[in-house]
Amino acid sequence: MNGPIIDITDLSKFYGKARGIEHINLEIGEGEIFGFIGPNGAGKSTTIRILMNMIFPTGGSARIMGMDVIRDTKKIKTQVGYIPSDASAYSSMDVHEFLSYCIRFYQIQNGEQRISDLSELFELDLNRQIADLSLGNRKKVSIVQSLLHNPKLLILDEPTTGLDPLMQSVFFDLLRSENKNGMTIFFSSHILSEVQMLCKRVAIIKEGKIIQLEDIDNMRKKQLKKVSVELADHVNIKSFSIHGIENVITGPGNMLSFMYSGNINDLVGFLSGKEIINLMIEEPSLDEIFLHYYRS
Amino acid sequence: MNKNLFLKEIRRNSVSLMIWMIVITLLIVVTMSFYRTFLENQSKIVGMLSLIPKGALQFKGISNFNDLMSVLGFYAANNVIYMMVLGSIFSIVLSSNILLKEEYDKTAEYLLTRPVTRSEIFISKLAVLSINVFILNLVTALAGFICMELVMKTPFSIGAFLILSIYTLLLNILFGAIGLFLSTLIKRAKPITTFSIGLVLIFYFIYTLSKITEGAAKMGYLSPFRFASVDATNPAYTIDLWHLAYFIGISLFLTGLSYRLYKRKDIYT
Repeated sequence: MNGPIIDITDLSKFYGKARGIEHINLEIGEGEIFGFIGPNGAGKSTTIRILMNMIFPTGGSARIMGMDVIRDTKKIKTQVGYIPSDASAYSSMDVHEFLSYCIRFYQIQNGEQRISDLSELFELDLNRQIADLSLGNRKKVSIVQSLLHNPKLLILDEPTTGLDPLMQSVFFDLLRSENKNGMTIFFSSHILSEVQMLCKRVAIIKEGKIIQLEDIDNMRKKQLKKVSVELADHVNIKSFSIHGIENVITGPGNMLSFMYSGNINDLVGFLSGKEIINLMIEEPSLDEIFLHYYRS
Repeated sequence: MNKNLFLKEIRRNSVSLMIWMIVITLLIVVTMSFYRTFLENQSKIVGMLSLIPKGALQFKGISNFNDLMSVLGFYAANNVIYMMVLGSIFSIVLSSNILLKEEYDKTAEYLLTRPVTRSEIFISKLAVLSINVFILNLVTALAGFICMELVMKTPFSIGAFLILSIYTLLLNILFGAIGLFLSTLIKRAKPITTFSIGLVLIFYFIYTLSKITEGAAKMGYLSPFRFASVDATNPAYTIDLWHLAYFIGISLFLTGLSYRLYKRKDIYT
């Protein structure tokens, strides 16, 4: 296919006067694993729901595989798999009944085999009632239903909620393998670490606007860290002025915390000249990352 | 229409349809079983009925006491009105939930992401609704017919019985269209079952009030029950073409409007 697999142009959605998303522009190439990250209420699900034609935009347009998401929605959906953030399903059905119902919407020859293979991979009991399943198992059902028809594009909205780390790993391995076979993946999440683990490119959305579109490699180079250090002696904040240090805050005693986006070896070298009682280097929260991006 | 969705919906609603059919059929059987006893005690009953205001009897389709003595008059007075009310409740509950349930159960995210258009979803669900309402009417009318055949002393007009059944069906279809329309107006998905049942009962109350209170007679025109005549023992009893146009016109208009609204509706889960 020529051109982007997802092409979003100036897309907006307002709920009356309330903002959903505003003037979003995004192009995702075929075969990419693309991360879409932002805090709750940022507009991730709104964007996805427009792509899946569940809601209608108030401005702009979106195309998938060159087709309009409103006019050609049926054709698009033959080639798109979707995992919703909420793993609710028809509670009166058992797992097999639900998956069979899903697969009958597509022209698939080996449907039963596909159900059996994917269920086995995710250790799903096909005979259990959906109403009796835990959140994690309902999520597995949701993952399996999205992959039944071998979609070319997989759209994931917070797909790992409820999955245990083992299943997350199985799921990520499967995504990597499907991606190698040509599947494009649009991965929406509010967990930066899992997006970093899987995606090649990422868009950060906040308050309905894309504030950053970046390669994961570039992001890694910046490697924003949250550093908290307790020093033996009182220290002047002004002396903490090496490249990459931002937002220095003093705490009780001789406590200092700051964001650091430079080479970690430089920081360790800088701190080695001081007497340290305690040092903590951790992943910043999303809000802290957003603040960093806003400032930069 | 999408066959897969249609069959799933038929299966999903089959138990509820069965329960409603059994309940209404039982009500008909029990009521009609009193017909013979009623005839045997007619002089006492006529005495009792003479104490009831004329309007209150008229709204049950009783123009004079002799109407009640015929099996069709007895059936119309004691059963049809319940079939109309209960059938309409069944119809509005089913129609107000058939699209909306996917939203508040959060299953719309699975349905709308399948290769199926909004039109196909709407038409499949409308077909399920129509079939359910039709089957309920067919079975309960058949039960009424068999009961009348079993307990009658003199033959009754099959034509009048059919008109009565058609009015019941039309009323049920109209309430089905009202339920469908209401469900497409709801922006944030939540069940509207209680509201829908309340609406049928309010319309029935308005109709009752208009029949028994002279001052409120015109208010009756607000209620669809006013246009479904149950005066089956009247020799001039026929389908009024204006009433037919009222039922078909409003049902088609509301269904068409619901279709347009659903096609452009933002669906949240």
